[in-house]
Amino acid sequence: MTCSRRNFLKTSGVLATGGLLAAGASDSRAARLAEDFATGDFAGRYASLFGDQTVSESELIQLILPEIAEDGAVVPVTISSELDGIERLYLLADKNPTPLVAEFELTPLLALHLTARIKLAESSRVTLVASREGQLLRCSRWVKVMRGGCGSG
Amino acid sequence: MAGSIRVRSRREGEFLELKVLIEHPMENGRNRDAAGNLIPAHFIEQLALTLNSQPLVTVNMAGSVAKNPFFSFRLKQAADGDVLRVAWRDNHGAGDSAEHRIELNR
Repeated sequence: MTCSRRNFLKTSGVLATGGLLAAGASDSRAARLAEDFATGDFAGRYASLFGDQTVSESELIQLILPEIAEDGAVVPVTISSELDGIERLYLLADKNPTPLVAEFELTPLLALHLTARIKLAESSRVTLVASREGQLLRCSRWVKVMRGGCGSG
Repeated sequence: MAGSIRVRSRREGEFLELKVLIEHPMENGRNRDAAGNLIPAHFIEQLALTLNSQPLVTVNMAGSVAKNPFFSFRLKQAADGDVLRVAWRDNHGAGDSAEHRIELNR
């Protein structure tokens, strides 16, 4: 099936409400899908985001996190890549109540080197999926959390 | 919410590094206050950066981004006087925006 989930949602009008809200309040090009940021388990969210698309492990994207995070409420993340043409990044914390932490829509004006600070509820794998020219690339890191980010996620 | 955004830019090798700090509680709705009551979810849903009105990067997020969100990005090219605009809105419909003029020789 060539129809991607996002295109399906666009054409089916599911995005209409979110689109209007986003247009009214910000300069964003695309709507935020509330369902993507709903609580749930990682496997379910991963399946709903990427469906049956092939996701390849890649060393061409670097995901840098501390191996041990003293405080799960503030965990620094660095994402970088020399690859051109990455359009979108999905950052997921596998054990967080809200597995999708953030989704970045990138443009060619950026060099891919970005940092953020996230919360981790407990020790877990952190997964990054990058979409580039219809391909999905993935890398993951394990983070040991000494003190959970109090109800984080 | 005026003045919730702080922006810095500085040269980093061949790139221009942008740092964006936003004051926001980023409550995910699962924390409790001192009296044991749940603190309602209150988090930034979307952060949008534009350069001279052109989209640069948009971040969609949930309450699992840390309190007082801090991001940095690298611009491939920038010119003196380019205007970076940073805007956010949260799940209560509140928001803020700020403009930052890029000065390469600072």
